[in-house]
Amino acid sequence: MKPANRIMKQVLRGGTAAIAAMIIGGASLGYAQESVSVRATLLTGGVPVDDPSAAVWSSAPPATFPMSPQVHWQNRIQEVTVKDVIVRALHDGTQVAVLVEYTDPTQDPDDAAALEFMVGDKKAHFAHGQPMLQVEGGPVNIWFWKNKTGKAIDMSAKGFGTLKPQEHQDVTAKGVYSNGTWKVVFARKLLTGHADEDVQITAGQFMSISFAVWDGRKDAVGELVEKGSQKAVSSWWYFRADAPPDYSGYMYAAIAAVLGLGFQFVLIRKLKKGQ
Amino acid sequence: MGALGKPIILMVAMYAFLKFGLPNIPGSAPLPSSLIFLYLLLTAGGIFMFKTLSGESKDAFWDPIRRFLTGENIGGLQALRYGVFILFPLLVGWQTYGSTAVSDLPPTESRTIHPAPPGEYTGLSNPVPKTPENIMQGKGFYAAYCSPCHGGNFDGKGPAARGFIPAPANFADPTTIAMLQESYLFWRIKKGGVGLPIEGAPWKSAMPRWEVELPDEWIWKIILGEYDGAHQSPRTWE
Ligand code: HEC
Repeated sequence: MKPANRIMKQVLRGGTAAIAAMIIGGASLGYAQESVSVRATLLTGGVPVDDPSAAVWSSAPPATFPMSPQVHWQNRIQEVTVKDVIVRALHDGTQVAVLVEYTDPTQDPDDAAALEFMVGDKKAHFAHGQPMLQVEGGPVNIWFWKNKTGKAIDMSAKGFGTLKPQEHQDVTAKGVYSNGTWKVVFARKLLTGHADEDVQITAGQFMSISFAVWDGRKDAVGELVEKGSQKAVSSWWYFRADAPPDYSGYMYAAIAAVLGLGFQFVLIRKLKKGQ
Repeated sequence: MGALGKPIILMVAMYAFLKFGLPNIPGSAPLPSSLIFLYLLLTAGGIFMFKTLSGESKDAFWDPIRRFLTGENIGGLQALRYGVFILFPLLVGWQTYGSTAVSDLPPTESRTIHPAPPGEYTGLSNPVPKTPENIMQGKGFYAAYCSPCHGGNFDGKGPAARGFIPAPANFADPTTIAMLQESYLFWRIKKGGVGLPIEGAPWKSAMPRWEVELPDEWIWKIILGEYDGAHQSPRTWE
């Protein structure tokens, strides 16, 4: 059966190429995911809302995000202390905690860090959600921690000069400095009931997050170097709170495989009988 | 061989086109694998119809398939036949899993890098004469305002670039300003990221809106300096 042989070789070659292509394509997608999102791991039991050093943080996968000096709008700064932030997150279905970790050689009263989220379905421009010219944008929700006060302020903005603390303060924060590293944990309920100004976190859904850090060091004449818009900033990245595990996909797959097997069986029976 | 060879080549070509060709056509995005699967299924269906409808090729197409499936006189291919029988249900299962499972990946983003400019920014010509002094002044402004992101070497690798996604444009790359008219640059520099239309994903671009800080004349000079420094020339045809 020479022709059949040759044909099958072709099938095999074609199939191998197709499968190889799928694997290559799939692998690159899998890689992209690692760095572009913060995943809040689902816990049972309490979230360490005020403990940046809790052992349970090691169960959350760390994601590293590069920071830039803020040179996008006035007042700019050309060089900042913090080059990267490492971010982890945990949630238990009610509370979410986000741990931001970064290197800073000195602890200063004016050290500060912030998370920024897009609020609602409309995209917000990364710098405080300033109005875009051709696209209708949304507001941002900022969780701002300061070493000096040891607290977080829950803030809103839509464009430059609009940043203000909210009436409802829903966020807590706690920073711990040791060995040249800041670890700051921000915490809040997943949902707050103020959907127009607070990010509402639904498990399984991607939201947009960005980061800012101020090193509160002073220059030779005692002026703060990083303050206000002079800070380290990140681009927009994704944040997602893990949904409870869902195994229904495996069940559907098993049913489909059984159906496939049955189809095969019937087909061959028919072909053989047709002889 | 002919009867099965062509259809297989066609399927592989179709797959390659859907996976790698189509996403490169301006204005399109990578297809989700479920859609690629569907299109391949349709292609296979089409080939099948074609082959079974045209009388004389029908047997040449069908016979090897039937013989393979029933295992009639296929000798050494028997093992492969069983392999196919095991693989087929697994593949169906895998495909089903893939289409029902919630994706772990963030939403795919496709950004049109050079979206159409608003009408008033098409066909403007640079009012500033291209003299050595003007080019030099433009380069000076560039160094002050643009180089933190776009780099002193016009390569997009400025000291502030690392955190910005999308990355600041690399002007030495032939796919940026060398493809664009001065008029287009004038629009992009004046309006920045916030001036982009929706397909340009404006919320992500850190490109500043320079019209709030720089007079038009400076922007035209910067354009001269930028092309000169990056060793590119503007696209001139309309
Ligand atoms: C804060 C960083 C930053 C600064 C400062 C900056 N840019 Fe940009 N620029 C970007 C980014 C990021 C992009 C790519 C995204 C986009 O197209 O908006 C970009 C894109 C551009 C483009 C579009 C290139 C293309 O291929 O479409 C031009 C032109 C440009 N910048 C010119 C300038 C000029 C001139 C200056 C100085 C007056 C400047 N930029 C300053 C960040 C910056």
